[in-house]
Amino acid sequence: MGLLSKVIFFPISGPVAGIRWSLNKVVQVAEEELTDDAPVKQELMELQMKLELGDIDDAEYVEREAALMARLREVRAWREKFGKATSGGPVRVARDADEGEE
Amino acid sequence: MSEPHSVETELSSPAAADGGKYVYCIIRSDRQRDFGAIGIGGGQRVATVAFKDLAAVVSDTPIVIYDPTRENVLAHEFVNETVMREHTVIPMSFGTVFRSVDDVTELLRSTYQAFSDVLDKMQDKIEFGLKVLWDRDRVVTNLERENDEIRRLKDEISRHTASSTYFARMQLGRLIEGALEEMSARYVADVHDALKQVAVASRSNKPIGDRMILNAAFLVDRAQEQSFDERVKETSRRYEELLTFKYSGPWPPYNFVNIKLKLEKAD
Repeated sequence: MGLLSKVIFFPISGPVAGIRWSLNKVVQVAEEELTDDAPVKQELMELQMKLELGDIDDAEYVEREAALMARLREVRAWREKFGKATSGGPVRVARDADEGEE
Repeated sequence: MSEPHSVETELSSPAAADGGKYVYCIIRSDRQRDFGAIGIGGGQRVATVAFKDLAAVVSDTPIVIYDPTRENVLAHEFVNETVMREHTVIPMSFGTVFRSVDDVTELLRSTYQAFSDVLDKMQDKIEFGLKVLWDRDRVVTNLERENDEIRRLKDEISRHTASSTYFARMQLGRLIEGALEEMSARYVADVHDALKQVAVASRSNKPIGDRMILNAAFLVDRAQEQSFDERVKETSRRYEELLTFKYSGPWPPYNFVNIKLKLEKAD
């Protein structure tokens, strides 16, 4: 029976395990993308450079900056959802009674 | 090239939730200072929170996350620029908010030694930013005119039919890419060499956009400020035709001091 069940289920358990693994991978990649603010910050720096070089005018800068800020806030919301640290915002300070100077 | 001085502090556990403090930088000062109503969030009063001979330069703030908008970032930078006229500063990264004066004092207390060491090292040092850009299309046009092999390939491509030029085109593309990389590396090295004699340290950051070939920060002794300035101008004149220099500063040593506060969500 043991051997038989293995033979019967093997073709199924193989691919199923594979699918679960790749789903996990997809979720992980999605999470990383949703919570990564580096591309937005890169775009913000590029935008500032364009303004500085006169490639775009002030009005266009303001408009595109607002869009980038909205994306940053979205990333921040996702980071909070996934329990990741956000940059900026309040800092909590540890107080350890017997902690000496570092 | 020197690595940034790193200070890592673990910050966690609850704190009193009274008036928040936005922290701009750490300085050495044994008396209360008032830098005026220039703070982030619409001209908050900027003052100091002291611990021994160290002081954090702060202004009142609600407990919020500041978006790095131009307005906010400029406010942050303006305070640091004002303070550094009279002090050596350790700049905090943009958007650092503490929940109370006590928390700020605790930061100074727990990292007193590290801050003191970094302040000693940064005594009378300032930072300058230098971005170098080129007009890629113009450089390519120059290349096509001056590089014999590139010119020969171009001629060949323009004389032949489409089928036979495929490989010539590929080869041309590769040649141009290679030549561009070589030129960019040479310019960057030239600029670096010219400036490193008058700088204490330098650091290259990732170029922004496709026109930039150098995005560097230089740590300069205040006594050398003028020599550095002259050297930058001299170098930019030498490359007037080819390169655009974007020179900024003096800044607090953002690129040479790296204070990492481990941030935790404060609820």
